[in-house]
Amino acid sequence: MASFVPTSEETLEDLRHYTEDRLVDVACLDCLARVRVKKNSDHQTSVQWSAEARSACQEFVRRDQRPGGRDVHKPCTRLMASIDDAVRAGDVPVGAYDGY
Amino acid sequence: MTDTRMLDQGTTPIRFARGWHCLGLASDFADGKPHAIHGFGTKLVVWQGANGELNVLDGYCRHMGGDLTQGEVKGDHIGCPFHDWRWGGDGKCKEIPYARRVPLRARTQRYETVVRNGQLLIWNDPEGSAADHDILPPELPDVMSDKYTPWSWHTKEINGSHCRELIDNVADMAHFYYVHFAFPTSFRNIFDGHTATQFMESKGRPDTMGGGYGDENSTLKSVATYYGPSYMINWLEVDYKGFVTEVILINCHIPTGPDSFLLQYGITVKKPEGLDEKTCAYIAERYTESFGDGFLQDVAIWENKVAVQNPLLCEEDGPVYQLRRWYEQFYVDVADIAPEMTDRFEFEVDTTKANEYWHAEVAENLAKRAAAEAAAPADA
Ligand code: FES
Ligand SMILES: [Fe+2]
Repeated sequence: MASFVPTSEETLEDLRHYTEDRLVDVACLDCLARVRVKKNSDHQTSVQWSAEARSACQEFVRRDQRPGGRDVHKPCTRLMASIDDAVRAGDVPVGAYDGY
Repeated sequence: MTDTRMLDQGTTPIRFARGWHCLGLASDFADGKPHAIHGFGTKLVVWQGANGELNVLDGYCRHMGGDLTQGEVKGDHIGCPFHDWRWGGDGKCKEIPYARRVPLRARTQRYETVVRNGQLLIWNDPEGSAADHDILPPELPDVMSDKYTPWSWHTKEINGSHCRELIDNVADMAHFYYVHFAFPTSFRNIFDGHTATQFMESKGRPDTMGGGYGDENSTLKSVATYYGPSYMINWLEVDYKGFVTEVILINCHIPTGPDSFLLQYGITVKKPEGLDEKTCAYIAERYTESFGDGFLQDVAIWENKVAVQNPLLCEEDGPVYQLRRWYEQFYVDVADIAPEMTDRFEFEVDTTKANEYWHAEVAENLAKRAAAEAAAPADA
C-alpha cells in the first residue's frame, strides 16, 4: 500500500546520502557488537545499529529486562567509549561532506 | 537553472498509522453518554457501559448508517437513534428490539481499548491485527495519585498538515531557538524499535518574551519518547530560578484525515514538597499555559509551510531522514517493515557552533533594545 511517496528520483538519492554515506564500522571493545559510525564534527556522532549488534550488546540485554521507562533509551557507555577510542586512533574520519 | 533545488512535496499516505492512539482522559467518557471523536477518516463513538467498560466503535450504524454518537447508552450497549439497533463493545449487534433475530453479519468496526495513566487508548490497524499490548506506553508511577496534580487536558484541531509535521519536531534542534525561543544546549536522538526519543537541555532566550521553553529564567532537561506513531511522554525537569519542578507532558494526536489531525496534550506536575494544593494547582496551570503556547508556536509554522519529502540539511541539523524512516514502519503492512525502519539509531547533534552564533545574535538584540530604550525614555 502506498505510503509517503517521493515524486523524484533525486529524493531517493538524498535519502541514501543522509542515511548510508560515509558510515564506518566500529567494534565494541567489550562485547561482540559491531556498529556503523559517522562523525560530521568533533561533537556530532551517528551510530547505526543492526538487529544483530543490538542483541549482542550486554548492556542493552540487561536493560531490556527492566520495565520500560526513560532509561532504556540511553546509549551504551561501553560502546560510546569504544567509538571515542576509534576516533582517537584515526579510524573514524571527522568532518561532513555538504551537510551529510 | 539546473542547479536549482526543487522541493519534492511527495504524496501523503492514504492509510492511517498502525498503533495505539489516545482519545483523551478516560474520565471524560465515563458519564454513560455516547461521545463523538473524529479519527481515522470517520467518526468514532465512545461510551461507558453499565459494567464500567469503555467501548469504541465506528460511529455509523451498519443498518442504515445512523449516527451512533447521537444514540443512547442502554445497559452495556449503544442504541442507534434511527431504529434502535443495539451494538456491543465487541462490535456485534446484540439486539434489534423489533426483530425476530439479529442478522449474522451484523458486525461493525470496533477498536480494542486500554486505559493507561488515566487515558483511553485504542489500537488502530488497517490490516485488522489484534492489539499489541507489548508496545503500550509505560505506566507512569505515582501519576494519578495525590503526589501529582490531576491531568490538565487540552485539544487542538490542526488542518492542512499531515501529522508527520508534528513528528519531525523530534529531530529538529534549531527550531527550538527560532520557534520556541530557547537555546538547545544539548540534543540527542535515539530511535529503537517502535520508540523514538529526543533528549534535550535548553535555556530560555533573554531577548524574547517567549513562554514555555523561552523563559530566560528557566532551564529545561527534557526526555521525550514516542511510543509508536502518536503517543509521546515528555519528562521535563524545569529549573526556574533554582526551583526545580518535575513536569510530565503527554503529547498525542489522532489523525482525522489525510492532512488533518487532532492534537491533544496533557500536563501533570509533581507537587513540590511543602506547597499547599492551591499553589500546586497554580504552578500546574502556568506550565499548562506555557507548553500550550509552545504548541501554538509550532502550529503557526505548520499552517503555512508545505510538505517536504526531500529536506535539505546542514551539519547542525538533526536526523530527519532517519526519523522519517522510523516513522514509516507504522504506514506499511507488518510484512513490509524493513529492518532499517526499526534498527536502533543514535544521533548526537553538535550544538556548539550554533550556540556560539546564537549567543552573539542575542547579545546584539539586547544591545539594540538597550539603545532604543535609552533613546526613548519610557513614559512616566
Ligand atoms: S440505522 Fe441504526 S438502527 Fe437503523
Ligand atoms: Fe516545536
